[in-house]
Amino acid sequence: MSTIRVDAKVVMLGKESVGKTSLVERYVHHRFLVGPYQNTIGAAFVAKPIQLGEKVVTLGIWDTAGSERYEAMSRIYYRGARAAIVCYDLTDSSSFQRARFWVKELQNCEEVIEQVLYVLYHILKWETLKVGFFLSSVNNGPRLHTILFVALQQCKIYLCGTKNDLITADRSLRQIDYHDAQDFAEEIGAQYFETSSKTGNNVDELFHKVAEDYNNAAFQFMSEESGVDLGQKKDSYFYSCCHNN
Amino acid sequence: MDGEAQNESVACEKATLAPVDRLRSNRAESPTPGLVEGTEPGAVQKSAFFAHAQSFEDLTAEAEEKAEQEGVVEDSGQTEDELQVLVGERTITEQHAQDVSPQSRSKEEDMSSEAWRSHRKHVFVLSEAGKPIYTRYGSEEALSSTMGVMMALVSFVESDKNTIRSIHADGCKVIFLAKSPLVLVGVSQTYQSDKELLRELQYIYYQIVSLLTLTQLNHIFQNKQNYDLRRLLAGSEYLTDNLLHRLDRDPGLLLSAVTCLPLSNSVRDVVSSSLQAAKAKNLVFSILLAGDRLVTLVRKKDQFLHHIDLHLVMNLVGSSSSFREGEGWTPICLPKFNTAGFFHAHISYLESASDLCLILVSTDREDFFNMSDCKQRFLERLTKRTAYQALKEALKCPSYSVEQVGIPELRHFLYKSKSSGLYTSPEFPELYQSDEEQERLMGLYQDLHSHLHHPVRPLRFFYRCTNKENLLAWVTNGFQLYLCFSPLGTKAMAVSAVNKLLKWIRKEEDRLFILSPLTY
Repeated sequence: MSTIRVDAKVVMLGKESVGKTSLVERYVHHRFLVGPYQNTIGAAFVAKPIQLGEKVVTLGIWDTAGSERYEAMSRIYYRGARAAIVCYDLTDSSSFQRARFWVKELQNCEEVIEQVLYVLYHILKWETLKVGFFLSSVNNGPRLHTILFVALQQCKIYLCGTKNDLITADRSLRQIDYHDAQDFAEEIGAQYFETSSKTGNNVDELFHKVAEDYNNAAFQFMSEESGVDLGQKKDSYFYSCCHNN
Repeated sequence: MDGEAQNESVACEKATLAPVDRLRSNRAESPTPGLVEGTEPGAVQKSAFFAHAQSFEDLTAEAEEKAEQEGVVEDSGQTEDELQVLVGERTITEQHAQDVSPQSRSKEEDMSSEAWRSHRKHVFVLSEAGKPIYTRYGSEEALSSTMGVMMALVSFVESDKNTIRSIHADGCKVIFLAKSPLVLVGVSQTYQSDKELLRELQYIYYQIVSLLTLTQLNHIFQNKQNYDLRRLLAGSEYLTDNLLHRLDRDPGLLLSAVTCLPLSNSVRDVVSSSLQAAKAKNLVFSILLAGDRLVTLVRKKDQFLHHIDLHLVMNLVGSSSSFREGEGWTPICLPKFNTAGFFHAHISYLESASDLCLILVSTDREDFFNMSDCKQRFLERLTKRTAYQALKEALKCPSYSVEQVGIPELRHFLYKSKSSGLYTSPEFPELYQSDEEQERLMGLYQDLHSHLHHPVRPLRFFYRCTNKENLLAWVTNGFQLYLCFSPLGTKAMAVSAVNKLLKWIRKEEDRLFILSPLTY
């Protein structure tokens, strides 16, 4: 479909002006633009290849607008995403509330996928029985496991506190305690990072982790998949959510 | 400069040898047939891209029709007393506003200050519940009581089954535009006519609709009358600010037209056909811009882009650096096309440091990768051809100087071809380099424009001498022309200059206009 092959779709989410664009800008172009704040309109897409040992993984990064106006649109960006980087401003507690909102959104989205997959699984089983294929429960077990595994791997959340440089300069500016954020991240099974796009602190590490996790998951998926060809199931919903576009 | 222009025109001459000939023989050399629409210099040969070329009328007609239906009496006669009262009220409320403001001057300006009051043009947008939505200067919060009074004025007159249109007081005009669920108010100390000011308010209205769609706006206010729309518009204020700035400065918005990048037509043809080749199922418009100038526009058959919509797109692209960071994908409502729904625009620059911006408008919000692919195909096709180099070369001089025309007294001009909806104008000469001078000249053009489009007594021809320049305006069925001469010239000279200029434009039309727009 696209001329650039994208391995993993990554979506940036978070309240406006927390610095999503700056984070992408720093990671992709290695720069930090000083100047008046300019909000993102709609969303911006950049593809960035990243070297992992022998392998190159291309991240397709969707930098979404934080403005409420585009909230409805954001859903189309995180659907099918392999990773969501939920950002908040370390010096703004309201942005942390917004981050919680996005996490909830993402979890809801996953629940839906799980339900769909559950239903699909039952249809598949019924179909296979009708056709008369013999499939032992032993064979079916791993299949369901794989499907659910893919579903749960669907969208990994990375919680990211931005503007770390401000905190380093003046500790009193911090509004969200490190441990609170860390606990929240653990609770939702997310990785937690504190970054500064201005200094570049932790930015590469964040995206590197995203790519690495994708790569490891893909590796596991491949090794477990033997005997299951997901590509053959042409159901469109199933297809679109289990195959990153 | 002159030599370059000649080279260009030679190139044009050669280009006419190409098989894609544009029936030039059918077009008279003399400009006089240009009095008929469709034969003027710069006229399009097939169909134009714009839905309505004479859209000044189109734009204001809506409001007028409505007003007439409701049997509105203009602010004269019996309503005068009423208005006197209202004006009185207004001054009171302004004083009131002065008392309220001090707490929240976070947004730069003190509203009680003389400086705030002396801005030449204020624009306010409020909801029908009187909630502030936008103010050009100062902060909305501090103005909530003033806006409340504005709303009171509107509903007071409405309760009599009438519509308030304007208040004239003490060198100051207050213009009202009620576009449910929004109310727009302009307070102007300029010499612009009511009609002009109303048109500007319409632009602001369309700007807001383009972000949200009218359907969504109505839906919001039906559910919750006192909704604070600023929540949804957060971060878009600068788009409106910029649009207002353009309204003061950009002749295109005055003329309801856009201007093209001067480009030899063979090059433009290659660019257009490359764009035409990169089509997709849901693609409706492909627009290539060089800054504020149109390079080419390809549209779906039978779908027209209105110039207002194009201006809104240009404003969006021109106001934001965010599209330089990657490929932009944004919902956009084109209010003149359809106020009910969003299009989805793929916005990207051809090269990172280039001014060439490609906008692909699709109907499907899932179409990002298809559009991205279209862009890639267009770029591949274009870069293989020499035309791309020529295009980049043309970017270096996006305008021309008035000396090329060869009329010594002529300082500046605007020429709009009605049928194509395109205009051409040289760069501002030395004298008008400063911002104030440019704005002053634009003010003069606005004044001419409002005389030519006077709702009761429109003029066809208008010559005016001031102590700094002589001005001439001429409108025919085919074109509109505004000229600015040195103050030492004569009227006879000005008239002869018009003929000379029209001949020059006819000669250069291949380069200055898009004569044969393409469709997919």
